[in-house]
Amino acid sequence: MEPELAQRIVDGLRDAGIGFVSYLPETRLSQILPLMREDPSLMVVPVANESEGVSIAAGASLGGRPAAVYMEGSGVYVSSYNLLVVGKRLGVPMLLVVAYYGSTMDNRNSFLYAYPGIHLVPLLDSLGIQYEVLEDANQLEQKIKSAVRMMHAIKQPVALLFTGEYTV
Amino acid sequence: MNRYDCFELLAPLIKDQLVVGSLSGQRVEWGHLCPYEGNLLVASMGAALGIGIGLALVLPHRKVIVLESDGSLLLSLYNLPTLGNLNPSNLAVFVFDNEVYSGTRISEPTATAGNTDLAAVARGCGIPQATVVRDLDFFRSEARKALEENLLHFIVCKVDKTTGHRQIQRSTEDLWEHKYRFVRYLERTEGKQIFLGRG
Repeated sequence: MEPELAQRIVDGLRDAGIGFVSYLPETRLSQILPLMREDPSLMVVPVANESEGVSIAAGASLGGRPAAVYMEGSGVYVSSYNLLVVGKRLGVPMLLVVAYYGSTMDNRNSFLYAYPGIHLVPLLDSLGIQYEVLEDANQLEQKIKSAVRMMHAIKQPVALLFTGEYTV
Repeated sequence: MNRYDCFELLAPLIKDQLVVGSLSGQRVEWGHLCPYEGNLLVASMGAALGIGIGLALVLPHRKVIVLESDGSLLLSLYNLPTLGNLNPSNLAVFVFDNEVYSGTRISEPTATAGNTDLAAVARGCGIPQATVVRDLDFFRSEARKALEENLLHFIVCKVDKTTGHRQIQRSTEDLWEHKYRFVRYLERTEGKQIFLGRG
């Protein structure tokens, strides 16, 4: 991903009102990590498991700091129980910033990633989680704002799946 | 020592702290003894401690109390290294360890009935002050310290296997209603809007 695009993601999160990010590091969007840590308006918290990322973000969100969880697509599988019982059943707004590995637009796709990639969207559908797939930088900031607005409106997790240009 | 007796000692100490609870009989017993707006009893295993950590991080001026169980913590041991590294000084964690998965019809042993020592696990994850409480007098003094001191506390309370919660009438409040009550309480006491209609 071009450095300018990473900066636009971080600026977009901040400008949409996100103030807290829990994360488990991954490769594709990793340029956003140092930028998020440098941004004084973001509280950035590393976790050991994406399920934990979801529960910690839920606490931050209910405490009044709009929250995001940054994870690889694999993290949606790992955190699916907490997404269901905390995100959906309790009803907690949070933004899922997901590196959509293994999609047909993933520039790093391989036999390692394709199967989890193929099943990611059906998994989100089965959980009833709203999502938007981002393949290029067109209207990036507006898409982040719309997703954040949706998460506040429905008080549930909403996912942004970054692939294509973001996985270079 | 049993959990209900511990809760009877803990409940009068609650003033404006935020209390996050998990599942099982403790949710029923705590909700019955302390029906308080600052309760967030999430009714699932493996999430309470994470939610408590998040609350403690964004509200550093509020004391956050987490009521966990052995089964719930065993499901989310990944919280412990994160807790040990973040070390939030406004968080008090009580793990009520009765060594069983206790449902309405089952009492099956957890790993703590065997060789697992949750306080030792916590110490290994960077929480050196993690301690074990086995009697009510010690519980009383540790609970007071945990609520008064500005220091992370992690207290494993070894309690008897009890089924008294099965006799307590369950609340009809659903989880969204419960969450709204908690958030409106926080909005009122923090003087800020938390749920945004339009983002």
